[in-house]
Amino acid sequence: MVPNKIMGSQVKSLLSGVSDHGDRHLAEVETDLVQMNILLGEAIKKLGSSFMAIHSALSIQQETVNLLLSGGTPAPECIARLEAIQGEIGEHVNAAVTGLQFQDMTSQLIGRMVTHLSGLRDVFGALDTGSTNVLPESNHDDIIALLNSLNQMLAERGVALEGALRRAVNQRHMESGDIELF
Amino acid sequence: MAKTILAVDDSGSLRQMVAFSLKAAGYQVIEAVDGQDGLDKAKKQTVDLVLTDQNMPRMDGISLIKALRGMTSYQRVPILMLTTESGDDMKAQGKAAGANGWLVKPFDPQRLTEVVKKVIG
Repeated sequence: MVPNKIMGSQVKSLLSGVSDHGDRHLAEVETDLVQMNILLGEAIKKLGSSFMAIHSALSIQQETVNLLLSGGTPAPECIARLEAIQGEIGEHVNAAVTGLQFQDMTSQLIGRMVTHLSGLRDVFGALDTGSTNVLPESNHDDIIALLNSLNQMLAERGVALEGALRRAVNQRHMESGDIELF
Repeated sequence: MAKTILAVDDSGSLRQMVAFSLKAAGYQVIEAVDGQDGLDKAKKQTVDLVLTDQNMPRMDGISLIKALRGMTSYQRVPILMLTTESGDDMKAQGKAAGANGWLVKPFDPQRLTEVVKKVIG
């Protein structure tokens, strides 16, 4: 193959490699952001609901406390209601504990996104370093060798990306997960 | 005497939630920040149950289980995984390493307590 055709082929490969690599990193980041948004939305909804319910239950308890402090006697149904409220508070606290676990999942997703962005920056950095080796006096062979090494670098990083960024968080809801005893 | 549970997770908030839930149920909880810390604490004191995350710096959960199962004092101690991982391949690895159960995050405190009671009473 004549040098111009080889160089053209290498340039084409480099451009499509950069595009594919960038697209894969950014697509993963986009997916993680969407997932994180869903998890955060559900967690806030769950926490907000629990917070309001606990506040409401405490207000009812306080009314009874006020009645007792003023020397009044709570009606039997009021006592039963207080016992029920205690159970409800426990349920809402449990729901809040489940909701609060969003931080663990979102921090894993953020860590994965940071790794993706770092990988993308490394590729751009390698391209920048490569560009400094292109001198005005460089001949076809020099440029072809450089393009070849850049294409190899992209291929290697693509393989590394596949292995290093396994998805560990698949949750799309803040409901409690499955339990299996072996 | 309260039974002791070693909770291993690199997420501080998750450890806090686990400790809150299990202490409310009457258990004593020792916290460890990763697998290596968990192994160090397990060597100092034999606990009644280990509850560990999978993905952690320094040492992951499955490596921790393998290390614990290599110790005479931990060959029969129940070990449960509590992780975001829900894939069958990872569960199979955990089971092969010696895990006794797999709980997928997020956990519900009541269900967690029920499972722990079932396993260690």
